Parts: sequence; C-alpha cells; structure tokens
Amino acid sequence: MIMRYKFEIGCVAFLVLAFILTQLGLNRFFFFAGFAVLQFIMIATAWNILGGYGGYINFGTAGFLGVGSYTSIALIQWSNVSIVPQIIAAAALAGLLGLAIGYFTLRLKGVYFAIATLALAIVLETVVNNWDFVGGAAGISILPTRKPELLGAVIVDRKIGVFGNYKEFLFFLIAGMTIFSVWVARTIEKGKLGRGLNAIKDNEEAAESMGVPTLRLKLIATTISGALMGAAGGIFPSYLTFIDPLTAFNLEFAVYSLAMPMIGGTFTWIGPVLGGLLLGTVQQVAIVTISSELNLLILGVVLVVFVTFAPHGLVGWFMKKN
Amino acid sequence: MTRILKYRVRVMLLAGLFAAAFTLTTAFAPVAQAQSKDPIKIGFSMALTGALAGGGKQSLVAMQIWAEDINEQGGILGRSVELVFYDDQTNPKNVPGIYSKLLDVDKVDFVVSGYGTNLIAPAMPVVIDRDIVFMGLFGMNNNGKWNYEKYFQILPAGPSPAVGFSSNWFEAVKTFKPKTIALVAADAEFARNLKEGAVENAKAMGLEIVYNENYPPRTADFTPIVRAVNAKKPDIFYIASYPNGSAGLVRAIAEVGTDAMAVGGGMVGLQYAGLMSGLGPNLNGFLNYDFYVPEPTMNIYPGSKELIDRYQKKVKDEGLKTDALGYYLVPWAYAYVDILGKAVNAVGKIDHDAIAEYIHKTKFTTVVGDVEFGDNGEWTQSRTIAVQYQGIKNNELDQFSQPGTRKIMFPADIQTGEVKPFNSLR
Repeated sequence: MIMRYKFEIGCVAFLVLAFILTQLGLNRFFFFAGFAVLQFIMIATAWNILGGYGGYINFGTAGFLGVGSYTSIALIQWSNVSIVPQIIAAAALAGLLGLAIGYFTLRLKGVYFAIATLALAIVLETVVNNWDFVGGAAGISILPTRKPELLGAVIVDRKIGVFGNYKEFLFFLIAGMTIFSVWVARTIEKGKLGRGLNAIKDNEEAAESMGVPTLRLKLIATTISGALMGAAGGIFPSYLTFIDPLTAFNLEFAVYSLAMPMIGGTFTWIGPVLGGLLLGTVQQVAIVTISSELNLLILGVVLVVFVTFAPHGLVGWFMKKN
Repeated sequence: MTRILKYRVRVMLLAGLFAAAFTLTTAFAPVAQAQSKDPIKIGFSMALTGALAGGGKQSLVAMQIWAEDINEQGGILGRSVELVFYDDQTNPKNVPGIYSKLLDVDKVDFVVSGYGTNLIAPAMPVVIDRDIVFMGLFGMNNNGKWNYEKYFQILPAGPSPAVGFSSNWFEAVKTFKPKTIALVAADAEFARNLKEGAVENAKAMGLEIVYNENYPPRTADFTPIVRAVNAKKPDIFYIASYPNGSAGLVRAIAEVGTDAMAVGGGMVGLQYAGLMSGLGPNLNGFLNYDFYVPEPTMNIYPGSKELIDRYQKKVKDEGLKTDALGYYLVPWAYAYVDILGKAVNAVGKIDHDAIAEYIHKTKFTTVVGDVEFGDNGEWTQSRTIAVQYQGIKNNELDQFSQPGTRKIMFPADIQTGEVKPFNSLR
C-alpha cells in the first residue's frame, strides 16, 4: 500500500522539508533564489505537459505567465485581494485562455502552432502596455501586506506568524505549487491522457484513426498547462514587488521554458524537474556573479551542448548509457 | 524505464537537488557579522549594460572617486568604505534580487539606488520593507506613491519633480510666444511622469495641446511620429525620451524636419558624450534639460569642475570604457553618496531612523551646491537648466567640453545665450 503511494508520500515529504527550511531562520536570499529555481521547475513542468507529452511546441509561455501576473495586479489594484485568491484567479484565467487558444490554434501544427502561440504573448503585451489601471507600459510596484492573515491566523510576522518574513511564505507557497505541478504532470504521464498525448506526438492521424479523441486531449493539455503557467505568473508580482510588461511578457520565459525540458528530457516528468533545477540554479548564480547579459549566453551554450550531445536530455542520455 | 535506470535517475535527481542547495548556500553563504574594524559597505545595483549604461558607468566611476576621497579622509565612523555593486542590465526585473542579495548575503550597511527612475522603482518595496535609508540617483517622483520618509533623491527637480523638471524649459520658450504644443513621451515610468508635468506647465501657460501621445519603448523608426506631430503644426514640440528614443527622434527630425520653434525638453541621453559626438550637428537647435554644462556661469557649484577634471583624467589614464566627459552625472553621483557619508558621520552610528531625521533637517554643502530635502525626499527647489545646442560643426567630442555648444537659456541668472528658433540653427 505504502509502495503504491510512494510518489505522493515523497511529495508530502518535500513539502514538509520546504516548511522546515522556512522555520530554520536561514538567510532570506536563500528563499529569494530558491523561489526562482522552483518557479523555473514549475514553468518547465507546465510546458512539458503540452510540449513534451503532446509534441506541440508552445512559444506562448510568456503570455500565460503575463496573464497570471496581471490578473494578480488587477486584483490588487481593484481591492487589495490577498495572495491565495490571486493565484487561484490567475490559474483560472490562464486556464481559460489556454482552452480558448487551444480551440483556435490546435488545428495548426508544427511551426504554425509555435508562431500562433508566440503571437499570443505579443498581443497580450500590447494590451497591457495600453492598460493604465495595471500600470501600463511603465509597470507597477506593489508592497506586500505587512501581516497577511489566512482564516484568522497571522501568516507572516517575526513573532507571532507562521513564517518569519514574506519571502519564506512565498517560498513555501511556490514549493507547494511546484510539487502539485509535478504531481499533475506525473499523473498525466502515467494515465490515459499521457498515453493519448504520446500517441498524438508520434502520429496524430494514426491516433485519431485508432479512436484517440485528439482534439479533446489537446484541449485538456493546453488548459492544464496554461493554468499551471498562470499560477506561476500569479505569484510573480508578490515575489518581484514590481512588474512591467517587458518583465511579465519577456520572451526569455519562452526560451527557458523550452530549454529546461530539452535539457532535462521531455518524455518524463523528471526531465523538466532536472532541467529547471539546473538552469534555475545557473541563472541565479550568473545574475549575481557574472552579473550581466552574459547569463543568456550560458543558456545558449548549454542548449547547443545538449542538443548536440544529448538530444533527449539528461534522462535520455542516462537511458542510452544503460 | 528499467529498475536500474529508475534508480540512476533518482540518484541523479537527488544529486541535482544537493548540488543546487550546495551552490545556493555556499556561493551566497552569509558572511560574518560586520565587526567594528570591517569596512562600511554601501551596496547598489547599477546599469553597466543595457540602455542606461551610458549614465550608469559614469556614475559608478564618480562613486569610486568619492570612496577614494572619503577613505583618504578617514572613512565613515572611522571605518573605510567599500562599494558593493552588481550590474542590473537596465532591467527592472533584476533589481529586487540584487538588493535582496546585497542586504542578506553581502550584509551591506547601506544601500543606495542605481541610476534612473525605472531602476529605482523596483528597489523601493525592498527598502521600504527593511525600513532603511535609501538615497536615489536621478529618480523622477519615485516616492510619489509611497511617501517613504527615509528616501532622498539627488535629481534637482524640486519638491514637485514632474512639474519642476520642465518648468525652466517652458520659461525659456516664452520668447516665442507659443500658442500650441505637441507632446511625445516614451511609454516608461520616467518619461510619462515628465510628460504629465509638462502638460501641467503647458496648461499653466495657456497652451493648446494639439498632440499628446506615448510611443512604445522598443520603437525603432520615429519618422511616423514626427510626421504625425508635423501634421498638427505645433508651435513647440516637447519630447520626453530615453537614450535610444532620443537618438532615434533626433535622426527622424533631421530627416523629416519640423516647423516647431522649440524642440526637445526631456530627452535623456543627449547629454552623454557618445550620443553628442555621434549625433553631432544634428543636435543644433534642440532645446533640452540639463544639470551641468561647461559654461562659465556654472561656477555656482564649487568643486564640481575639479571633480569633473579628475574624472576625465581617470577615464583617460585608466582607459575606462565610459563617458569621456562626465558632465551629466558625475557631480550628482558623487554628491548623493557624499550626503549619506556626511549624515552617518554626523549621527555617529548606524541608526537609520536618526540618519533619515538628520538628512531631513540639514542643509548639505556638496559639489552640486547646497542641498536640502523636503518631506518627500525631493529637493526643496528645482535647479534644472534649459540648454540649447548651438554651433556644433562636426562630430568631434572636444567641442562639447568647451563653452558655447550647450548654452544656458534659463534660469536667467546663469544664462549664457539667447534662445533661437529651432530651424534658424539648422
């Protein structure tokens, strides 16, 4: 019985570990950098549901993240809504967007689908650029609530709160969200949906002729993938405390979200986790050490190396060796 | 997957986790708590690459000159001063992480801002959360939203910076008795604030606004904008732009032309040595803001000429790849850390409440003259100057270090030339 649920038990163990880390009084920057790494893993995992399992290359990651970020900003501006409802609303809206985009674009294939999703990010950025309520092109700074409460309990306070500071709280939240994303991805991979998506990736016409409901599966995948990306974007303004369209809709996200599963391996849930872990850590170290736009060069070099020597990512490379 | 593969992947996953944790905890390991003999660390992000690098690099050199000076004088609180900085790449996204690292890992004693409004904005929530003194370098109304009592800013735009920044430009153009105005701004925090202030000044002058639009920061071709403005036939044309946009607009106006009598106002970047020499005679006629130019009446800032001479010598001797002239930011970048150092020494301890209180109530004598801060951390009076580019013959840089190429049109007490219609100087 325990063996059957060992993955779920592992997820809970990681969440407990994340909580314990927040209680150790570690340096606040650990949580700041850790957040970025976990967010990368979440984005990579979300991208892989459609791109890795289904073979549909999505360049619109920045669009989904941006929708999540600006849903949160709009809710803060509207009524200073707290962070958990922000994330739920961001996920819901990005999920709906995923469903709509899926419906309109999934009849496109290959490079045409990629271009359509890329256009999504650009169109949404233009909309936000001209929406003054959320700061327009100039962006907006937000100051997180000093003592946020949940069900009457003080969540963040040095003395009486569950967490000593806001960064610890955000780290725990993103840890929970990332673990949930990985669980969702693994559940899809092991289930009917994953097998259906794999069939679509291999030969969509053949899958269709064998009775795989291709359109329905693809719509489910775009919705789930979009919702998870939206959730990752929803928490982003609270983490950065500043958002502008250039940041929220940055095409770097599209590149990273594609690069991470490629580096880790796209055919299993572990691939994006490894890719996110590797690239997220390298990026955090690069920002404060190399400290220049050179960190993008690192990404390029790593990608070229992996595409050349390990086209199926780290996991694929290990499989080949064994 | 086979069992052995599953095992290996798990080992790899765990190893990856440990490697990440090790990197994060060792590369950024907390340094030991500062001892009294340790240097006073001042941390900041700075635009050393990206669109604002032209200003960021010269600011950094000025701050390093200040650090040399203060250390020769015994440092702060008897401790030497060390600057800790990272390149923010002119990207607001990088700023919160850099300040978080400065405060939590580098354990700096003070943080000051990087250069520019758009890079100060994302740092504000971080410093407000820590409740510490924050000196700003050329921020346009960054404290308008927060009213943070420990924020002080060196841009001399006065207590109402958005309006004060362009007030002297509007005084200078009164010569032309204009009736209509066109306004164009980059869609970014600084430029939008600037244009809002210009609109207020225009309304106060009774001008009819015939064109008022923003352009996206990534705009490459500005000729359609200039043509759209020309179609409205404005008497004067106010522009609030960042360096890339400023260069693009100067070139577009050189190509398309304009009948406006005054053009410019809030064009950032035209003060950079690289852009001035690059644009050369195309700059003739532009009427723009500035803070310091090599005109004889600028001796109102004692010590600034000597500082700029030292800067230029340092850049030349050490072969630094930065602005060769340094007029735009060097005195101000020197002054904003100088004020912090003077305040800490006067208070005698690192007590952010006391230091902020001291800065609020003190008039500081610096290389940019006497400085006093109001309640919102802005200067109590505006000292922006309006200059007109005149008599630029070629692309030689040397001419910009001599009087005569950027004549002061306003304020009247330091005026060195007469403002002329834009096209008469082309």
